[in-house]
Amino acid sequence: MCHTADYPLPWHLFGGILCITMYKKILAAVNEHLNSEVAARYALHLAKEHNAKFYICFVAEKCMSQHNCRSAEDAVKRLFNEAKDLNVHAESIAEMGDPVADIRKIVQHENISIVFAATRREDVRRRFYSGTIARSLSLKLPCSVALVRVVHSGRVHPGKILIPLKARIDHVSERASFVAHMAHAFGSKVIVFHAPKPLTKFFHGEMHLTPPEWEKRTSQDIAQFIEYLKRHDVLHEGMLLPGRTARNITIEAFAKRHDLIIMGASERNLLTSLLKGNPVEEVLRNTPCDLIILKPRHED
Amino acid sequence: MRINSLAKEEALRQLVSAEEGLSEAEAAKRLAENGFNEIREVHRTHLSLRFLSQFTHFLAILLWIGAGLAFLSDYLHPGEGMAMLGFAIVGVILINAVFTFIQEYRAEKALEALKKLLPFQVRIMREGKEKQIHSREIVPGDIVFLSEGDRIPADIRLLESSLLKVNNASLTGESEARLRDHDPFQGELIESPNIVFAGTTVTSGSGKGLVFATGMSTEFGRIAHLTSAVESGLSPLQKEIVKATRVVATIAALVGIFFFALGFAIGRDFWDNFIFAIGITVALIPEGMLPTVTLALAMASQRMAKRMALIKNLSSVETLGCVTVICTDKTGTLTQNRMAASKIWTDNRTIETKDYQPQNADMLMYAALLCNNARIVDNAYKGDPTETALLRLARETIGNVAAKRISEIPFDSDRKRMSTVNRIGDRQYVFSKGAMENILPACSRFLLDGAVQEMDDAFREKAIAAYHQLMDMGLRVLAFAYKEGSGQKAEGEGPIPHPPVPNPRSLESDLVFLGLIGLEDPPRPEVPDALTKCHGAGIRVIMITGDGSRTAVAIAREIGLVRGEPVVVEGADFGKMDDRELREKLSAKEIIFARMTPKHKMRVVTILKEEGERVAVTGDGVNDAPALKKADIGISMGISGTDVAKEASDMVLLDDNFATIVNAVEEGRTVYENIRKFITYIFASNIPEAVPYIAYILLKIPLPLTIMQILAVDLGTDMLPALALGTEKPTPGIMKQPPRPRTEHMIDLALIRRAYIFLGPIEAIACMFGFFFVLSAGGWTWGTVISPDNTLYMQATTVCLTAIIITQIGNVFACRTSRESVFSIGFFTNRLIFFGIAFELALQFFIVYHPWGNKIFTTHPIAMSIWLVLIPFAFLLFFAEEARKAVVRRSQSARSTL
Repeated sequence: MCHTADYPLPWHLFGGILCITMYKKILAAVNEHLNSEVAARYALHLAKEHNAKFYICFVAEKCMSQHNCRSAEDAVKRLFNEAKDLNVHAESIAEMGDPVADIRKIVQHENISIVFAATRREDVRRRFYSGTIARSLSLKLPCSVALVRVVHSGRVHPGKILIPLKARIDHVSERASFVAHMAHAFGSKVIVFHAPKPLTKFFHGEMHLTPPEWEKRTSQDIAQFIEYLKRHDVLHEGMLLPGRTARNITIEAFAKRHDLIIMGASERNLLTSLLKGNPVEEVLRNTPCDLIILKPRHED
Repeated sequence: MRINSLAKEEALRQLVSAEEGLSEAEAAKRLAENGFNEIREVHRTHLSLRFLSQFTHFLAILLWIGAGLAFLSDYLHPGEGMAMLGFAIVGVILINAVFTFIQEYRAEKALEALKKLLPFQVRIMREGKEKQIHSREIVPGDIVFLSEGDRIPADIRLLESSLLKVNNASLTGESEARLRDHDPFQGELIESPNIVFAGTTVTSGSGKGLVFATGMSTEFGRIAHLTSAVESGLSPLQKEIVKATRVVATIAALVGIFFFALGFAIGRDFWDNFIFAIGITVALIPEGMLPTVTLALAMASQRMAKRMALIKNLSSVETLGCVTVICTDKTGTLTQNRMAASKIWTDNRTIETKDYQPQNADMLMYAALLCNNARIVDNAYKGDPTETALLRLARETIGNVAAKRISEIPFDSDRKRMSTVNRIGDRQYVFSKGAMENILPACSRFLLDGAVQEMDDAFREKAIAAYHQLMDMGLRVLAFAYKEGSGQKAEGEGPIPHPPVPNPRSLESDLVFLGLIGLEDPPRPEVPDALTKCHGAGIRVIMITGDGSRTAVAIAREIGLVRGEPVVVEGADFGKMDDRELREKLSAKEIIFARMTPKHKMRVVTILKEEGERVAVTGDGVNDAPALKKADIGISMGISGTDVAKEASDMVLLDDNFATIVNAVEEGRTVYENIRKFITYIFASNIPEAVPYIAYILLKIPLPLTIMQILAVDLGTDMLPALALGTEKPTPGIMKQPPRPRTEHMIDLALIRRAYIFLGPIEAIACMFGFFFVLSAGGWTWGTVISPDNTLYMQATTVCLTAIIITQIGNVFACRTSRESVFSIGFFTNRLIFFGIAFELALQFFIVYHPWGNKIFTTHPIAMSIWLVLIPFAFLLFFAEEARKAVVRRSQSARSTL
């Protein structure tokens, strides 16, 4: 059995086979914006799927106007009622202070497994999210974090979820579990997508490989991820499209009308991002559908 | 679950909105979160950076190093003319960059054309008040009012509708306006009748709706994103050029380094060695290749324009030549889009329309005439081609009928039928027309020889058999029915401004089946020949049509598109197939896609490309744009195409004709063949440019050819003759060969052998002979050091240069064919060759006899008799090559006999 910190692990290793336990407590951070409410609905459905306790948290900053406070409180009320309708055990928390610090305190005090927060348009405008609440939550919270970018209000429940994966995946089990539960929660089909770098040779240039040839080169991590989905009866399909990662992800999502993208948080540091670009950031800017960026904290 | 499946109240709740609209404060907040409702361009590399990248590829870097070293050596050893060389090399880099950029440059204007389809002002409800705002300011949750003529600003869930009809042509390509309603719909959002999409137009009626997606999140934004982000990648020619320049630049650099080291080892002076190393590198790089390729492509695109194919980016010219699959629309491209009624099935028999004898009160013709939205304006039929054909038939058969339309249930692609209620005299009738599978089930009776009879299975079977028979003739078949005395009764004689909405269920039931009319869209006369050419050329043609499968197969057979039993995929099945299944279907030799919409095309193109095919696809609608961008060659229709499709395509067919595509493919193949011809020509001259340097280092003789003289050949005298080779006519049988495989390279071993081992050495012998001939005639003896400004030396280098020019004249004729004798294609058939040679000689005369030429190229005038000494070498080269070709031909025919 592996342990990492002073919060409950969502699963345990038995003889090398991953057995999933559930996220026990899920927190959604809500504010005055509609997108935070939509993001919280994803959390709510995941909570229902995990039979977890659902926390709806609103932290008002000191400078917040009365109107905005009221909007956020209304959103909390609506979510609370929705949770009741879905038979999900919910608790609402309203505080005044610094959102990041206060949420961190709540996470530690309540042993929260995962926090959902919506990204804002202004976050997307900033390079590498620097100085945004979303980035602070992602970095500072001692639990998994799902940042949700809401861009399309017409797709109420996702029917098709696109999962872009790179060849080497960390926290493969938590990611796979998160995806499987989201898919079960909404009855969605999962499309596992990999955009490998095109194969090139100096004198030959780019080599053309057909999809079956690319499939033979699928990494072990991706194979493990797919195996996990299979074992958990998640309707899924594999897809390979060599080329520029971010561009291919958005093209795939636009072309096939996917409803939700779930991808891992970027592991590139500032220098690497400057030199090589940052696919997560690019997808965040151009996504045609809602996007969840998962920062898993639990070890495999 | 999508917004279309929710009840009105639930939809409003999901978007936290109300019928009174959002508050201004909430709208402002949402605007800040969602951004403006506008089409944004996908971030791309700026044009200036794209141009700058032409200076940083492998060949350019090598040349930059060469130029830098030349400037350095001029600084350390002034007066050796190295600065001039440095400038010349920089000039070469610049010229190559400009010409490569011209080839790759393509103006991206498709998005501009898309933006024009969005409105400027919209009427919305905010804080309970109706107001007009700029369309870019609307946000999800806004309530928008729609009325006739409005362009729809965003994706909207209808909350109220009154006979609201929307033309979705910009999204789906369907020309028929579709009736919308506001009831929840359990199905795909894209097909939902309670959703209206950004960029489409309200043709009639009115409505009110809830905005749920704006800007790039809309379906329109989706097309914009795909049009802007999808790239077909480098063209085959561009890839070949990258490969070729890398190979040649590596060879040149390695040879330069090898001989520099060798010269150093045998004790030559460092600076001599240095000049040599740069010289041999410059000599082996074909500096003129890229400009010549670009100019040859430009000339080919001019020729294509004369054949009704407008090329938008140059490298597409050659890409056409290696296309392996053409995905083509049917209507208007393979056929003439001149629909005409051709057969009628009624009273249990099929007859030609011309033989049809109308009866009194001919209900079939009444239905064709009155259940019809085509009209006559200025003695011309206007409207949908199918409807105009029916109107023409009915008017020519029974003339005009005094009737009044009371109401209409418009054609709907889901119901696949339309109905009208008409009053003729004092009687009222319902007329319906549509697809057989949608009309026959609505009929309980049928008309036989003027008498109404009860429908039975025997008649149904006969009618279905007749329907299949007509479709198998390649006809588009419509079924007709009527009934008397239903519908709303009209009051008064004038037009009814807001006719009551008929109930389709009661109106389109208990009908009397009248018969079938088969409409023919005749194939274009040139198409069968063009398809035969395609088959001969190993190009697969895939028809993608909205017609039913039987009609599609029949037409395909008639024009020779299919010969066996093709695999037929219908739109409904297509949507259900996963990629693997579709991939298998697409591997079939003959395949037809029927009942398809343009949105399916991009998937077909993507899978074909993944399988390694080089794909050309035709399209004319806005939603064809992504597929046109994705394909190796996107072909839009010049006559019927939208601006968006034209901007997104690589080639515009000025006559919308499939045969023009095949002509363009032939031109593309010819261009490829011609590029190989002039590359052979250009590469051959690299050997006489390199050999003097090798002789200089190994034999310790004066340098027979300066670097500037090399550049005079590569970027001067060679250019026009090479371009003339680019205009050679296609070799007979070029469209009888299969498409060039991916493994075949433009510069292959055969080309290198011919240029470097056969033609080049003959030229090298000529130039070295000329050089020594002049030196020895001037009294030079082996081992004597001779200064660069010595007249004898300058004359000797001038003769060396002249020898290259003269032998290149023989070479240009030799390169006109690769296997056939030049005499077999006609010695004088390419007049441009003679212009090229005239230019080449004029330039050489300038270099040899004009003081400016002498100064720039350090040459000196030579006696005319020297020219006569060199001319036999041109004949030697030409006839030696003719002999080689004869040997090749003979050995090939011997092999084929065996």
